[in-house]
Amino acid sequence: MEKKRIGIIGGGISGTCLGYHLSLYDNAEVIVFEKDTIGGASTAKSAGTVCLFDDSLNNRYWDVRLYGFESYLKMEEEEKGSAGFDKTGTLVVATDEKVEAVIKTGIALTKAAGYTGEYITDKNRIKEILPDISTENILGAGYTQDDGYFDGTMISNTYAKKLQKNGGTLKTGVKVTDVKVENNGIKGLATSDGEEYEFDYVVDCTGPWSKFTGDLVGLEVPLWHTKAEAFFLSPPGKKLDYTFPVLKYPAFYALRAGDNIFICKSHLSMDLNNPMHAGQWDPDKLPATGGTDDYFIDFLLDQLEMRVPGIVDSGLVSSWLSYRAEPKDFLPILGETPIDGYILATGYGGNGVIEAPAASRDLAKLIMRGESTPLLEDWAFKRLLP
Amino acid sequence: MNIAVLIKHVPVSNDVTVDPVTHALVRASSEGMINPADLNAIEEALVLKEKTNGHVTVFTMGPPDAEKSLRDAMAMGCDDSCLITDRCIAGGDTIATAKVLAKSIRRYGDFDLIMGGALSSDGATGQVGAMVAEYMDIPHISEIHKLDYINGKVETIKKYQGRNFTIQAELPALVTVCFGANSPRLATLRTKRAAKSKPMEIYTNAELGMPVDEIGLAGSPTAVIDSFAPESKRRAKMITGSPEEAAKEIKALIDKEEGKE
Repeated sequence: MEKKRIGIIGGGISGTCLGYHLSLYDNAEVIVFEKDTIGGASTAKSAGTVCLFDDSLNNRYWDVRLYGFESYLKMEEEEKGSAGFDKTGTLVVATDEKVEAVIKTGIALTKAAGYTGEYITDKNRIKEILPDISTENILGAGYTQDDGYFDGTMISNTYAKKLQKNGGTLKTGVKVTDVKVENNGIKGLATSDGEEYEFDYVVDCTGPWSKFTGDLVGLEVPLWHTKAEAFFLSPPGKKLDYTFPVLKYPAFYALRAGDNIFICKSHLSMDLNNPMHAGQWDPDKLPATGGTDDYFIDFLLDQLEMRVPGIVDSGLVSSWLSYRAEPKDFLPILGETPIDGYILATGYGGNGVIEAPAASRDLAKLIMRGESTPLLEDWAFKRLLP
Repeated sequence: MNIAVLIKHVPVSNDVTVDPVTHALVRASSEGMINPADLNAIEEALVLKEKTNGHVTVFTMGPPDAEKSLRDAMAMGCDDSCLITDRCIAGGDTIATAKVLAKSIRRYGDFDLIMGGALSSDGATGQVGAMVAEYMDIPHISEIHKLDYINGKVETIKKYQGRNFTIQAELPALVTVCFGANSPRLATLRTKRAAKSKPMEIYTNAELGMPVDEIGLAGSPTAVIDSFAPESKRRAKMITGSPEEAAKEIKALIDKEEGKE
């Protein structure tokens, strides 16, 4: 059987997950190149929420969400802790009728898949689940006990291990410095340690770095960076005496992190035309901690005073800034490009952990069998061309 | 009680190298934060403020972006602040720095107690606090672990060679606080926002009027003539085996380190 040689640039959730799905094919020869550590960059700053119903991904793609969720549950079953699952459940708050309709559809899909889910309008019951919440000015909330959040770095490393077990190769600590193109087709790539490789396909899985990776082949990848600004809060009592669920509002989300609460602005609330929210920056210049803007403090304070007053006087333990990479429609860019053999698996924005398994499953099928799928058609590069 | 706290804006990153020619510290990241031991000094000051219905002013000398550390200190509860910044005071040694700080404190107002962290995480000389006290001609107690205010005096606990020493000083005085002496309080979103509108004075040498040959690099009688990384005998040990075996070995290593074995 003729082998297909595939080089993957980027060892985050996108690259390792795709590498693993490709390694399931006998005739795939896969090498993943990571300039730093596996799952250590923007993946490590992901909240890792994979909730059965929320507004992070349109219900039209609910199967993508379910495939991701169940992939990680299976991972946990195989080896406990390998996906870093914390089963806290999720509370999705309906602030208006439009959000309420999305939640109700999500709950119906969740129940159809065999998981629990309920739409609650009894405000006392909502406060039982999350005592610190304000139930004023809300219509109700969707709740499931079955989901929670995962650890993107753990998942990436588990996929990397599985990829190696299936015969794939990892090259960490080496940067891809050149991608070889001849007659508009991929030939291979070169790395910072002076090595050169021949490939039939090169896949850009570099997320926030894709603009720079695209430059290597002269391809303009239409991505913007939106700021993911996160705070770790220490609740006023220093210790939560209840299970803080993943809490989702249209403008922000929160989850527990040990005895602290992680809180972040939701990516769909970002305005690509607002230079405070979005731009094109260099992710290598991001500080490891800090870097958040004053506007975020004002935004979060206003939101918490109104929505979750019980934690508004939490101490600020730490903060960080990360860049999400996303095109203008906030959906990923998957599949073929005008350069033969140059494939994109990028632009997941804040949803890499949710979307990577289904996207990788379909991309592997495209690369290994030449078969497209409805998902790849929807998230194709060509949709963004003028 | 009117309290002044001296803080230093230090790099967040540990990625600090030494310039081979000037021997100055080269910081990889521009991101800065309050020197960790200074957080302990702030905490002691805020406890005293609460006890005496006092007032805390925080001072720092540094580049303009050191304002971030002053705002962070005010978010913890300090009342106002003073940023001392001027190109002509840059590059000073501990003596030149202490002179500028002492002059700035005097100009700002009368303080009963001046506090600071015992060591900075970057320079780590531990000299500036004592030097400021000398320039101000007030008593000082360095590297204290506990502090109280009793009968108009400051009473401190200092640990030295395994013993605790209780040392009192008349006010005004200066004390430097050891890293880890207490648990510094955290700012909240509300106090962060409030800190943005707390008063901050900016002193340049136009306000201080110090002779330029007495401050900054020109006014520094000491110079770093060599620098080198200390030789460490500590080596990383890789622990292998099942999680249970690894946990057992880690426990044994901790016990050994604590002298229990």
